[in-house]
Amino acid sequence: MKYWEDFKVGESTDLGSHSMTEAEILAFARKYDPQPFHADPEAARRSIFGGLIASGWHTCAVMMRLSVEANRREEAAATGSPGLDSCRWLKPVRPGDTLTGRTEVLETWPSKSKPIGFVRRRVEMVNQQGEAVVAIVGITMYRRRPTGGATA
Amino acid sequence: MKYFEDVEVGDIMRFGRYEVTKEEIIEYARQFDPQPFHLDEEAGRQSMFGGLIASGWHTGAMFIRMVVEHMTPVHATTGAMGFDDLKWVKPVRPGDVLTVESEVKEKVGGRRPDRGTVKIESRIQNQRGEVVMSLVSLVIYLRR
Repeated sequence: MKYWEDFKVGESTDLGSHSMTEAEILAFARKYDPQPFHADPEAARRSIFGGLIASGWHTCAVMMRLSVEANRREEAAATGSPGLDSCRWLKPVRPGDTLTGRTEVLETWPSKSKPIGFVRRRVEMVNQQGEAVVAIVGITMYRRRPTGGATA
Repeated sequence: MKYFEDVEVGDIMRFGRYEVTKEEIIEYARQFDPQPFHLDEEAGRQSMFGGLIASGWHTGAMFIRMVVEHMTPVHATTGAMGFDDLKWVKPVRPGDVLTVESEVKEKVGGRRPDRGTVKIESRIQNQRGEVVMSLVSLVIYLRR
């Protein structure tokens, strides 16, 4: 198990990759962000983006999925998030793009009242051309390493 | 239609109504945020949240749906650069009904003569008037 104590400032982790399909982009957009350039391929062609692009909230959702899978691989004792400092959608994400995530620990501090600690991290996803498409700075909570017991 | 010139600092908009269901919480979580307290009622009960709760990113998705339904048709916007200071303040649970209160905080010119960026603080509230999530969006408006 990876506890709060195990996160070191400067350490970086690969989150893996995900390829965005047109069907996936349309399904998310039609449910949550039905602006024409996300939900209607023909209207998207005529928009300032020149083609269908993913909702920024969809890109963030994919980033979350990759983060959850990475936590699982590391057996990290993640227990939610109080929020984010910032999120920037830097470039459009289009059907066929493969997004790769990477995260870096910026800061860690313990909770004063609960057996958890906080990790401030930067997470970035790049496309297959190596261009950053989204960057966030967010906070994740992790459980503290249990103390005492003889069986660690 | 409201263009960049028409938006004023201090403007407040209240809109939206989103009924949160257990099925939708689980469906979103399966696809994007498969942590036990988003997926399973029993696991939620055993967690620090004391029950099934929506993914914070799902709350964000429900927020943007309300924005697109109520704001986008009457505001000349063309997406957003992102947001700052997002806080997941309280858990969102099945049966909650969410609404939005948005306040214009700042108008930023930006580089392009045909557009401007507007900082809008939005507070997503539940049926008890409790803020469950807040954020400051950087929304791109067209100029007249």
